[in-house]
Amino acid sequence: MGLVRKQAPEPELPQVLDTDELVRRLDDPDPELRREAALELAGKPEAVPELLARVGLETEPRVRDAVLTTLAGHDSEAVAAGLAVHLASDEAGLRTAVAEALASMPVSTPALLPSLLAAPDHDVRVMTAMVLADLPHPEAKSWLVQMIAEDPHPNVVTAAIDALLPAASAEHIGVLEAAVLRFPDDPFLAFTVRAALPRLTGTA
Amino acid sequence: MTRVLVVDDAATVRLYHTSLLREAGFEVAEAANGLEAVEAAMTTPFDLFVVDVNMPKMNGYACVETLRSETVGTAAPVLMISTEDRPGDADRAYQAGANLYLVKPVAAERLVRVATMLTTGKDPAA
Repeated sequence: MGLVRKQAPEPELPQVLDTDELVRRLDDPDPELRREAALELAGKPEAVPELLARVGLETEPRVRDAVLTTLAGHDSEAVAAGLAVHLASDEAGLRTAVAEALASMPVSTPALLPSLLAAPDHDVRVMTAMVLADLPHPEAKSWLVQMIAEDPHPNVVTAAIDALLPAASAEHIGVLEAAVLRFPDDPFLAFTVRAALPRLTGTA
Repeated sequence: MTRVLVVDDAATVRLYHTSLLREAGFEVAEAANGLEAVEAAMTTPFDLFVVDVNMPKMNGYACVETLRSETVGTAAPVLMISTEDRPGDADRAYQAGANLYLVKPVAAERLVRVATMLTTGKDPAA
């Protein structure tokens, strides 16, 4: 009897899951399945409320990052507003991940700026400076200048200065010098401005 | 020479802390986030870590926990410095394994004094 060639097994086709099943998988005990489900939900606006609900509940950073990546892809005002509440989170990983997500949403994040700049919690305003540091928007520098010129808390002002400096130019010398005068007892603020001025004045 | 790793995503903060510590005689290296700090700590022994809280990629608490984990296993002192002054921020730092938590901005003399105490056990002002 001749040799019988074994047939190669049929390659498994990738499983296509509907939105409801993917949403259910956001609660799966396996973090890898949760992460994959979050990424698979990209481009499905009907899943946004469920994804927003997971942001503050998800404990695995890699799953949370996947949720935020998918949400940031929508770049809608509802998503931005739903994320911004976490800038006040007690959990450092959550608030910094949310700040990064908001910085990648140049269409919808700007609408939040007036309320974020006026947030009563100065830690939220510090996180706002972190958002503006990376927000690709033509007004980002103007908002940072506004923070430097007007915010009453020195840590917010120093965070805004740090965010502005990579893109600062000679036109910002006045607002930086004024900030030092507003907070004469803050050693870091004075050091930062002193270190930056030679570059801005062209004497570095 | 006593080696310090300054970990902060803000370039100006790194410059400030690095300048003060170098003037005081410390050898200083820098990392821009917790992940870079862990990578540095796995290849180079440090005598002190000065770590921020809010950083991309790996925040300060996760960084300190990793430094204290079996992966890195360093017992070198950790000084956390952050703008975060909410109740519980310092507790969270100590739970992660930090030796001391200070709120920004830290005056030059205070930073050098604390760094000296944490690395030598002696108070330079005494």
